[in-house]
Amino acid sequence: MAESTTRDTILAAIRRGKPDVQPLPATIGFAPNMASDQFADTFLTMVKNNGGQAIRVTSLDEVNAFLGNEYDLTLPVLSRVSGLDISNFTPAEDLRLLDDLHLVVLEGKVGVAENAAIWVDEPVMGIRALPFITLNLALVVSEKNIVGNMHQAYPRIDTSVGFGAFIAGPSKTADIEQSLVIGAHGSKTLTVFLLADAGH
Amino acid sequence: METASLKHAEAAEAFLRDEENADWHNETLWFVRSKRDRAAHSLPEWEQLREQASQIKTHTLSRLDDYLIQLEENAKKNGITVHWAANGDEHNRIVHSILQQHNASKIVKSKSMLTEECHLNPYLIERGIEVIDTDLGERIIQLRNEPPSHIVMPAIHLKKKHIGDLFHQHLGTEAGAEDPQYLTEAARIHLRQKFLMADVAITGVNFAIAETGGFVVCTNEGNADLGAHLAKVHIACMGIEKVIPKAEHLGVFLRLLTRSATGQPITTFSSHFRKPGPGQEMHLVLVDNGRTRQLASPDFRNSLKCIRCGACMNTCPVYRRSGGHSYHTAVAGPIGSILAPNIDMKEYADLPFASTLCGSCSNVCPVKIDIHQQLYKWRQVLGEAGAVESSKKMGMSGMDVLFSHPWLYRFAGRAGRWLMQKFPSLANKPSLNPWAIHRDMPKPPAQSFRDWYAEQNKKTNG
Repeated sequence: MAESTTRDTILAAIRRGKPDVQPLPATIGFAPNMASDQFADTFLTMVKNNGGQAIRVTSLDEVNAFLGNEYDLTLPVLSRVSGLDISNFTPAEDLRLLDDLHLVVLEGKVGVAENAAIWVDEPVMGIRALPFITLNLALVVSEKNIVGNMHQAYPRIDTSVGFGAFIAGPSKTADIEQSLVIGAHGSKTLTVFLLADAGH
Repeated sequence: METASLKHAEAAEAFLRDEENADWHNETLWFVRSKRDRAAHSLPEWEQLREQASQIKTHTLSRLDDYLIQLEENAKKNGITVHWAANGDEHNRIVHSILQQHNASKIVKSKSMLTEECHLNPYLIERGIEVIDTDLGERIIQLRNEPPSHIVMPAIHLKKKHIGDLFHQHLGTEAGAEDPQYLTEAARIHLRQKFLMADVAITGVNFAIAETGGFVVCTNEGNADLGAHLAKVHIACMGIEKVIPKAEHLGVFLRLLTRSATGQPITTFSSHFRKPGPGQEMHLVLVDNGRTRQLASPDFRNSLKCIRCGACMNTCPVYRRSGGHSYHTAVAGPIGSILAPNIDMKEYADLPFASTLCGSCSNVCPVKIDIHQQLYKWRQVLGEAGAVESSKKMGMSGMDVLFSHPWLYRFAGRAGRWLMQKFPSLANKPSLNPWAIHRDMPKPPAQSFRDWYAEQNKKTNG
């Protein structure tokens, strides 16, 4: 059977069987369950609940200093945050070589207070595999880009990009007897830097 | 149509023979259900959120053709190749033909209940393809040559000792080692090599968005992403009911999905795929496999709203005490017992009876599917089709006679009480009374309610 035929058969079967048109809800989403001055604190608490490390900073120099203390920056490091020039790794054409990456630092474009999900998209990553293949991941999020909940996040993200992900913590699994293990396939650690707005 | 066998009941009995394991299974799933409750209660708008999700899904089903066409059109604009499959076999053939075009022999696959439903793995393996399931739980059961027993926690029926032995045998971990951290690390190293060497990555789809022509895949492990971003070709497979109209609707569903599933506020990775990566190819396979039939049935079409969170399984007293494998279908538990008979009524006629109809499944369902009512309706359909097993049917017709003749009902009650008082061992004999296999009959009352009521009336009225 040609594919076009299958397509037409499926669509015809839907038309025969579907119910009368039902309306969409009049409104989609809800206001956050917290005042906007609580977004940052809630966000940081949720980062920790998700198994990440949450650090407030006022400048990229502080990020640099913290990473220098925490990680061996002589190992393969790739930062794509402008102003944070700690890269010592140049990605090759062959994506498999990314397996060596010890630390990747990216900009998080939007952070969600309610669940600490951070939107990271293709323009920020450069290479889609980066935040997943690295051993350690650090995300820098500006305080002004923290929103209350997912309903506030979607209007802020660019859904026209080829790829983007909400990342909410290091990779984890509980598939062995429901015991939580951090570091299943993706990054084993996530450090989130919340960068205070300029002028604060 | 022949009568169905006692498949679920027999398999459940086997599961319950290992009492310690059965208790652990029951308690662990109840613990997950409790985490779900805490996560749900943390949102004051939870019930309205469920209502919005339910309405979005109901609306989408009522215009499913329009949204699929819109999805296809936008996906094509994005450079995604869209395929349509009428059934599991066509789905498998499409996937295999893509692999052939690329001379692909090594595949990594993230969790996809649709590919389980279509039996994709055996199809590809028979044709010489190496298919590696990359979700840790799925990899465990794949090494054991078993199907998943739960849609979210595929290896929930196993203890760490089983997994330690398995990994010792297949991955060379130390004999007797059963620390989950150690075993997970071993799996990470093993699967990292598979990710790096794969020709093609296959993923499921949690939500496809008509408006953007993209789709969302949710994992905690990051395995879908590692596969999809490293391989040259990404094939995403979805049932046609997975489409939603707009990106803003994801806000509703992503808040519900993992809270309902495991009690987490969101999955660790909620990945939005819209275009193939540089130098990559992306395919989207839209599968019917009985869904249009389910849509045409007013009684059962609601089941197509399912977002595969597994909350109905975790809360189900029958699922928790019988294990996922006793359902002998890709999607176990209450929702699976509605979906499976639509695919094969004879094969799965036992499943709508594997329920107490307590309604807990419907109460936790994030998209408000009337699960227990649909199970009840399936029983009527199966009864009319003659697919109900004969012992159950005999019992039912017996009850019918009993309840339509009050004198017989009174007599039977008296006879039953007399028998149980005089010969309790007879009533508790499993060969005569299957109800007594794992439990004792209650002590019979000295007098029936009817007699007691008459006596009270006499006393009061003199």
